[in-house]
Amino acid sequence: MNLLSPLSLLWLGLLAPLIVLYVLKRRRTERKVGSTLLWALAQRDLRAERPWQRLVPHLSLLLQALVIIAGAFALSRPAGAGHLPTGARVIVVLDTSASMAARDEDGVRFDRAKDALRALARSLPPGGELSIVEGAGEPSVLLPPTGDLLRIEAAIVRLTVNGGTQAIERAVALSSERLESAPDGSRIVVITDGSITGTLTLASRVPVAIERVGDSALHASTSNDAILALDVRARPTDGAPDRAEIFTRVQRFGGDAGDVHVSAEVRGEVVASRRIHLEPGAAASALLTADLPPDDDGRAPTVLVRIRRDDDRDDALVLDDVAVAASPGARRLPVFLVGEIPESVRRVLLTDGDAELFATSIDGLAARAGSELEGAYVFAGATPSQPPPGEVLVIAPTSSVFGAELGEAVERPRVITWDDNDPRLRFTTFGSVHLSSLRPLSLAAYTPLVTTEAGPAIASLERPDGAVTIIGFDPDHSDWPRQAGFVIFFRNLLEGARTRRAAGGIAPARIGESLRVPASDGGHIEVTTPDGTHLTGRSRGGLAIISIPPTPGVFTVRIGEQERFALRNLLDPEESDPSARVELEVTDGRTSTAVSEASEPRQAWPLLAIGLLCLLALEALWATRKGAAA
Amino acid sequence: MPGLSNTLGLVGERPVDEIIRRLTLDVSRRLDGMLHGDFMGIVPGRGSEPGETRRYSPGDDVRRIDWNAYARLEELVLRLFVAEEDVTLYLLIDTSASLSVGTKLESAKKIAAALGYVALSGSERVSVMAFGDGLTTALPPSRGKKRIATLLMQLDRLEAQGGTSLARAVDGLLSRSVRPGIVAVISDFLDPEGFARPLDRLLAQKFEPVLLQVLDRQEVEPEAGGDLTLIDSERGDRIEVTLDERAIRAYRARLHAFFGELESWSKKRGVHYGRLTSDTQLEDLLLGYLRGAGR
Repeated sequence: MNLLSPLSLLWLGLLAPLIVLYVLKRRRTERKVGSTLLWALAQRDLRAERPWQRLVPHLSLLLQALVIIAGAFALSRPAGAGHLPTGARVIVVLDTSASMAARDEDGVRFDRAKDALRALARSLPPGGELSIVEGAGEPSVLLPPTGDLLRIEAAIVRLTVNGGTQAIERAVALSSERLESAPDGSRIVVITDGSITGTLTLASRVPVAIERVGDSALHASTSNDAILALDVRARPTDGAPDRAEIFTRVQRFGGDAGDVHVSAEVRGEVVASRRIHLEPGAAASALLTADLPPDDDGRAPTVLVRIRRDDDRDDALVLDDVAVAASPGARRLPVFLVGEIPESVRRVLLTDGDAELFATSIDGLAARAGSELEGAYVFAGATPSQPPPGEVLVIAPTSSVFGAELGEAVERPRVITWDDNDPRLRFTTFGSVHLSSLRPLSLAAYTPLVTTEAGPAIASLERPDGAVTIIGFDPDHSDWPRQAGFVIFFRNLLEGARTRRAAGGIAPARIGESLRVPASDGGHIEVTTPDGTHLTGRSRGGLAIISIPPTPGVFTVRIGEQERFALRNLLDPEESDPSARVELEVTDGRTSTAVSEASEPRQAWPLLAIGLLCLLALEALWATRKGAAA
Repeated sequence: MPGLSNTLGLVGERPVDEIIRRLTLDVSRRLDGMLHGDFMGIVPGRGSEPGETRRYSPGDDVRRIDWNAYARLEELVLRLFVAEEDVTLYLLIDTSASLSVGTKLESAKKIAAALGYVALSGSERVSVMAFGDGLTTALPPSRGKKRIATLLMQLDRLEAQGGTSLARAVDGLLSRSVRPGIVAVISDFLDPEGFARPLDRLLAQKFEPVLLQVLDRQEVEPEAGGDLTLIDSERGDRIEVTLDERAIRAYRARLHAFFGELESWSKKRGVHYGRLTSDTQLEDLLLGYLRGAGR
């Protein structure tokens, strides 16, 4: 245990003269009297009258004073503190991912992370500064460098779990850049409960320490049951046109084998439930069947699936015990085809039984202006000046389109890379795709998804009211349609459009991420969270961004008279796994940089508290024995 | 004998005979004028000389009823006679160390001297006993005016020392198989063991106690004196006191409660109780007792 100012303990030396002052007797004049009989009685009367009695130096008093001193010391929570040179900076990469909301035997991980942050703040040397970088979702600076403990505390109080996935590596890299010219002794401290894998190249040679919250060894009492996947599909029968299958995949992380109840709810009522057996570390599936008729307004209901343990043990993480999904009714998706749609594209769209294709023109679309968010739009050739709201796909444009310029045609460009993290390219590959010709896209605000040696072949643009995907070549002039990835790409595209449409145009996002609600400028937005809390916001630049708690479920968004629903799920096995895993190898470009895994500050106050109790017990024993002797 | 001289207001060194003569005159002068017309004798009782009368009370000797007065007044009246019997006055003087404070012992000697003088002058037997932790006889029962000088000399020899035990003193008195008589207890009565039980024993043995309390002015009216350690002159006990108004008020309350106990005990038993807190009250104390004693 370290003390920041051990010399300050010398002040305790003042206790000695203080006690001596109490112990020393006052000088008194002696007077002989005939008898002290009446004086003794009078003294007794005086003592009885007074609400207090004269302080008498006593061993008991001394012990009790010691108890108070030790108590004050204990309550100050002395803790291990780092030794930092003057002016050094500490960047704390704080994992705010969903798993940090888990509760272990020692409490909620995020609370312990906050305590660790406070300990770091208290250990700042004179001139030292601390900043906080969020290590989940998109790394961002939550607190600029400051040595002001009040500001740090205020920032700590505001911290919440945002529900995103870990982004420790990126956050560490960002922090490393910021410490490039920092004074000696500066360091990065990562507070996390999860896994950090891979080799990290840092911009500066700064030490990285990892403080783990969460049990390294998974105990039975900290096991977690989680919903990993949820899918609702229509299975109509002759007698039940609204029959649907609710597929749920559940896994138990840690603990012992046991049963779990899986129940599906629609509008607060259980429509189906089932008990399944879970083995530790193994996943199991539950298939529920229920009738999911549309409501009075003809809208498809939202299905909420909840799991509940069959024993009395606490579940480590509640965020993954609930998941929501749109019902099959929401799967019906109108797709508007404008221009000469390549045959391969038309065929692949027809394979989706829930997609309703409508051939129209740009003028026809203009005539439907006002009916927003009707579905997906596929343009071939000419395009309107502005993309309609929703999922927009442009195939083989002939001129600049929606802000993207086209380059000169290139024959047989070779695909060199693609972004398989993008939801549209999930489970696809372009390694064996050959293009006959391409007009590479000249990007401005666009993100390249597939890149050839001549330039981007497919790019996307995220807009507040939708997304634009541009394919710079004609699929019919390539071998892409003959590959499975072609079908998967369009299926991914339509699923994204369905999700967006089910959420009323609100972009799908991970749990805890802010709602991005398209709305006219100045529009007032009201949001009701799954637990009934009301939030408000206002639209600026056609978009309202509203921070929401990391709660899974349906967020009801009201924009004037319109009502939309945004669904938030965790559905992440990495976040649901409560065991802590820390693996990080960091290099600064030349050599490996040591990564020390620091334990949480070891707080000594519990030991001191036990010491206090022992002291009190001794004092009580002593007083009792003395009383008996008297 | 400077002590006795101080006791009776004499000064200077004189031959013993002259001192005794002057002492006798002094005591006689101080008491004779005071007692003239008021005093019939220390001991009321049976005898041939007619004395006062008083109403009959149940328990009185019916042979003493004045039947003539009954015929005239139609009420039962007892005729009292000046004592003829050989009644003894025991002067039980407290000589414990607590009497050494201030002028308490001198006051006690004055009271004893005065009572002894009156008794001896009235042909009554007087005995002087000093008590502290125990009981010592300073003057065996004696009678006659000639013994006055001896009485005064014996009183002068008394010194204050040791503790107070009225119980032992009474035990000592009763163990000597003396004849019942009047026991004038001259003391401050600051006895940790209390005064009631030993005095009740005296009453039970047909003695008639008279309580004469002597206290020093500082004991009755203590003055504020800051932080003090009070030392008990008998037991050596030490008490730390901050002698402020509150402490003095509490002490006075206790002192008056003590007075109240003595008065209450005396009143219930028909015993005379007088208190002397300064020299100037000596005459009042004696007169108060002697006026009631003849009845």
